[in-house]
Amino acid sequence: MKRMMLSLFIIMLLASPLFAGGAQEAAEEESNVVRVFGAFVDEEARRFEEAIRPFEERTGIDVIYEGSSEFETLISVRVEGGNPPDIAALPQPGLMKNFASKGVLVPMWSSLEDAVDSNYASVWKSLGSFEGTPYGVFHRVNAKSFVWYPKKAWDAAGYEVPTTWAELEALMDQMVADGVKPWAVGIESGGATGWAGTDWIEDIMLRTVGPDVYDQWVSNEIPFNDPAVKDAFEILGDIWLDPAYVYGGANTILTTSFGDAPSPMFSDPPKAMMHRQGNFITGFFPDDIQANLEEEVGVFPLPSINPEFGIPVLGGGDQFVVFNDSPAVRQFMEFLATWESGELWARSGGALFPYKNQDLSAYPNEIERSLAEALVNAKVFRFDASDLMPGQVGAGTFWSGVVDWLTGKNLDSVLSDIQKSWP
Amino acid sequence: MAGIHKQSKWTYLLVLILLGIVIIWSIPIFGLLVSSVRPRDEVMSTGWWRALESEEGFTLDNYRQVLGGSDQTFVNASGETVRASGDNLTQAFINSLTVTIPSVIIPILIAAAAAFGFAWLEFPGRKFFFTLVVAILVVPLQIALIPILRDYQTLGLTGSYLGIWLAHTGFGLPLAIYLLYNYISTIPKDIFESAFLDGARPMVVFARLVLPLSVPAIASLAIFQFLWVWNDLLVALVFLGGTNDVAVLTQKLASMVGSRGQDWHLLTAGAFVTMVIPLGVFFSLQRYFVKGLMAGSVKG
Repeated sequence: MKRMMLSLFIIMLLASPLFAGGAQEAAEEESNVVRVFGAFVDEEARRFEEAIRPFEERTGIDVIYEGSSEFETLISVRVEGGNPPDIAALPQPGLMKNFASKGVLVPMWSSLEDAVDSNYASVWKSLGSFEGTPYGVFHRVNAKSFVWYPKKAWDAAGYEVPTTWAELEALMDQMVADGVKPWAVGIESGGATGWAGTDWIEDIMLRTVGPDVYDQWVSNEIPFNDPAVKDAFEILGDIWLDPAYVYGGANTILTTSFGDAPSPMFSDPPKAMMHRQGNFITGFFPDDIQANLEEEVGVFPLPSINPEFGIPVLGGGDQFVVFNDSPAVRQFMEFLATWESGELWARSGGALFPYKNQDLSAYPNEIERSLAEALVNAKVFRFDASDLMPGQVGAGTFWSGVVDWLTGKNLDSVLSDIQKSWP
Repeated sequence: MAGIHKQSKWTYLLVLILLGIVIIWSIPIFGLLVSSVRPRDEVMSTGWWRALESEEGFTLDNYRQVLGGSDQTFVNASGETVRASGDNLTQAFINSLTVTIPSVIIPILIAAAAAFGFAWLEFPGRKFFFTLVVAILVVPLQIALIPILRDYQTLGLTGSYLGIWLAHTGFGLPLAIYLLYNYISTIPKDIFESAFLDGARPMVVFARLVLPLSVPAIASLAIFQFLWVWNDLLVALVFLGGTNDVAVLTQKLASMVGSRGQDWHLLTAGAFVTMVIPLGVFFSLQRYFVKGLMAGSVKG
């Protein structure tokens, strides 16, 4: 009994300072602290923290970043529970629209809007807007329309980078004749299996029917079983469903994790020559390849199909939105809208930035420099459609539809099933 | 003779079957262990059963990164490229223990007292309240997250250890009360009668008789509650947050795989590191465990 009372007493003793202390500190520091919550963690979080350190030193504002791999669930719970962060970095525009429609976001004030107008291409502002009101400031972004290849083997075989779809197809046949599979593809990703496939479809859509039809597709103004979408699946099918073109065939596509997918390119000799994926894929390359990225790996944008639309870039990115307004928060948001906030992260590698006035020489290697250049100079940039569509489709039936189609289900019924699931 | 012979044959068969099941169950864990000492590129490219063909051999690098912090390369404010280790696990271990220990002790104490009350004290509405407790068993805790978070915001409890202790206490109580009730109600009535005859008050009976007699049930409950709280990620993320000063072990491990899961090979080593303390708890309470598992199963 005494022991029990003692332990209870100790618990109370432990609890009281934690409880009281937390509240006091919060009150004292509130005005100089900015709490940021986002989805990037570990090394990327560290790079972000280092990139904003000059701002902290200059202004005396303490920016506390918290990253979680469970971000999407948590941000909704915290906002609903009345405990939102000051600023959140939202990976999906859909989340921003959701919060904006509930009125929990602080819209851009005029000086921030001016900074965004002068530093970004207009597409970024419209991606951060809901019903005409701008909310989100984009910072780190990614671009996905790239094809990676093992440079040494590529050069040894004398292949040339294709610039049109016809050239790409000719190159694929040349590779088959040389006895190597053209593509390494993998779309397995646990519960999210299929997303890597939706990226392909989106890229092809942008190249065949252009951004306007793409936008109509995203908002379901044209149905999912429209010939434009079916056409994109068929173009992809010409590659994916032909065992001559893909390492391991359709089954390997389904069962290989998107991160392991590039690895056949790096065996000796390579078992496949090309892999289409976003800039982040370099983090999954084997260590010795990553160490010599420039010498080992080459990259080119997925070629154009209809010359009218050039080479569009598909991508995504985190937009920073404000939940709690304060002078410190405003200062930090205005900092995020400038290239200065991204420069150090760009130099660390693994991140692209959308700023018009960025200094491309900051990127650590030729590869990222060329990706950033392609991103900034793209005449057409579109956000990943599956992130823009309603969750039931974009993070549901579109993913599973790709899987069904790969396992042999009839394309028409796959597409009409996806259309039926549209809320 | 023949009978015994036959019997031992059956015993052998049984042992063989059991052995087979044990091996099947152990293979994934063994694979995890092998993977945890293989270099990253090999974990990514070939299965663990091909570990012996490897040229690079085995490495403790995964454990080094899990315990000492994962390797990070970044450019600092003065423009230099720095290669450093992330935060190590010490703080996360301390945080996890700070969360877990009170979150095990508080609900068990409350549950034991409540179970004693439900089992042996007469008060109006006893049946009703007990039914209520059992009914709460089926309510998933996710439903309660947002309402509780709102209340915590008003009370200023979000982000404090007290908040998460109370949350885990609340979420753990229904099962704890139910389990202990079933055990405590099987304690022979005579013991209480003689104690009450000797003039003992309920509080004394609880502390001197019920608690010591319920040690097997309490120990097994402690193991369950400890494992649940130790492995919890969701409740901690919601009520405590994920900043470095409060992040628990599960949060650290979850973020160690990187934003896109590119470093998942570290999880293999991480699994064994986090296992250490629950295993210690399990083995130290194990001798009560089997007795405790039967708690309340054969009610007299």
